[in-house]
Amino acid sequence: MVRFEAVSKHFPDCTQALKSVSLEVPKGEFCVVLGPSGAGKSTLLRLLNGLVAPSEGEFYFAGERVTRRNLRSVQKRVAMIHQSFNLVQRLPVISNVLSGMLPAISTPRALLGVFPAELQRKACRLIDRVGLGEEHVYRRAGDLSGGQQQRVGIARAFIGDPLVVLADEPVASLDPRISRSILSLLKEASREQDATVLCSLHQVDLTREFADRVIGMHAGRVVFDGGVEELTDEVLSVIYDGTRTKTEVRPDIPYAACALPFAAYQRAS
Amino acid sequence: MGAEVPAQPDQWRLKPAYSVRTLVLLLAASVLLAFSAHRTEIDRMLVLSGEAVAAAAGHRETSQVLKGLRRIATDLFPLQFSETREIARLENFDRDHLPPFSYLASQETRESRLNSDTMAMEETTMAREVLVQPVGYLGHAILLMLQTIEIAFWGTVLAVLLAVPLAILGARNFTPHPAIYHGSRTVCSFLRAMPELISALFLVLAFGFGPIAGVLALGLHTAGVLGKFFADDVENADRGPQDALRSTGANRLKVLGYAVFPQVLPSYLAYIQYILERNIRTATVIGIVGAGGIGQELKGRFEMFNFSHVSTILLVIFITVMTLEYLTGRLRGRLL
Repeated sequence: MVRFEAVSKHFPDCTQALKSVSLEVPKGEFCVVLGPSGAGKSTLLRLLNGLVAPSEGEFYFAGERVTRRNLRSVQKRVAMIHQSFNLVQRLPVISNVLSGMLPAISTPRALLGVFPAELQRKACRLIDRVGLGEEHVYRRAGDLSGGQQQRVGIARAFIGDPLVVLADEPVASLDPRISRSILSLLKEASREQDATVLCSLHQVDLTREFADRVIGMHAGRVVFDGGVEELTDEVLSVIYDGTRTKTEVRPDIPYAACALPFAAYQRAS
Repeated sequence: MGAEVPAQPDQWRLKPAYSVRTLVLLLAASVLLAFSAHRTEIDRMLVLSGEAVAAAAGHRETSQVLKGLRRIATDLFPLQFSETREIARLENFDRDHLPPFSYLASQETRESRLNSDTMAMEETTMAREVLVQPVGYLGHAILLMLQTIEIAFWGTVLAVLLAVPLAILGARNFTPHPAIYHGSRTVCSFLRAMPELISALFLVLAFGFGPIAGVLALGLHTAGVLGKFFADDVENADRGPQDALRSTGANRLKVLGYAVFPQVLPSYLAYIQYILERNIRTATVIGIVGAGGIGQELKGRFEMFNFSHVSTILLVIFITVMTLEYLTGRLRGRLL
């Protein structure tokens, strides 16, 4: 579904967020990108929906290479869920959900706020699916609790029938109990729609609970790529500390690259 | 080298509260201020006001300022509310259909005239019938104030219509091209830099006396102000929702409409309301150069030394501005 080939990204301030990342995520998988802050998780996800352009390398979406030209059409099939929800606080829930379908609406109609009735029905079904009721439809998004806002975020992501859902630390600002319910909602919804999920997390316990597969990142490199059952303590220390234990996780990556000083990615965050 | 022993706290160097440099600078500043104060006659102002206070308290015979103030006070009162017009000079006057709140009266005027036969001065009395409208002039002033408010309203509408596109083109994150960004910002600065009173002066030459010049002068100046405020708000809007919509593939206008505009709307309304309030105050002033409304009447009456009329106009202006401040204060409370 998604394939990266030697993708690198450096920002203008010389921080290298991604260093020659290659990976492939098959269709329908719930793939967790695990790593400490600044490891390049967000950059990896943001590449896929065009918020960040790669410096080197190329990546493929559903078998076709993503370029500047077909970016728009890729964006329509890739949805994103954000750490800070990124809802428009002053707009009602239904407008926030519908705003996920803006590319399908003509600009004048969009600016006048006229959405087809069928689309509004679909938005209502999604609002119901994520566990909010009719009384929430016209409430301002800013008046909802954090967990409810992220439910709206999920509804917004799924309204465009995405093939891939990117979730950038979707539960970082929520408490553990609500985090669990949000992640299980995300997992169920993606399974129903047969969507692939790339979800960045920094909580190991949640990763173990929900991931089909884990991609471990440290300082811009993929240092682990495997099933959730392979996520041992040694692997975790490589992901989080960049230190190498006796287990060789990825022999192709030289040790020095894993153990970059903290400052290098602190600047990136 | 490098192995210096750190000094004891008793030997740490402390800065004096005032350095020599500060004192020199203060001295230079006071010399400069004294020079400028003399040029702007601050010294004379103090002397004259002191004299006025002393005269008012009875310690002095007269004071130039007090005399002037007293003359203004006697000239301005009583306020002129009524309007009396000679019927013979009224066009289309219908005796059976008088205007509301008016009555007819006869007025006697005495005239001294030289009798050409006797070569002596004779007093003749002439009776003239006049139409008296007890609050006629007050009504006239209120209507002119209303015109002033309308000038300010349409000036504000013009300003908003010009400012929105200027703001979109002049916001760093939405401008189509850096050159257009700089162009739009320059246009805004230029409009802001042109005082309404000056531009109204020229617009009166171009469009003639009347409200057109007023609307344009206010609209152009405040478009520059609003354009800057609007653009700054677009630039400072939270990027999160914009990223979220941009990543779905929505075009710029849609992102602007859904992620930026709802965010900035409350502050836009506050700016517009402030500009409207300010435009009403300014519109009374720019009438003085002929741009319509109550200011134009004020200037006319002032030049004819009709100070009773002037005081009526001033009363109407004061009441309007104070009501306005009260109303907008309440509105602001409700908006935020």
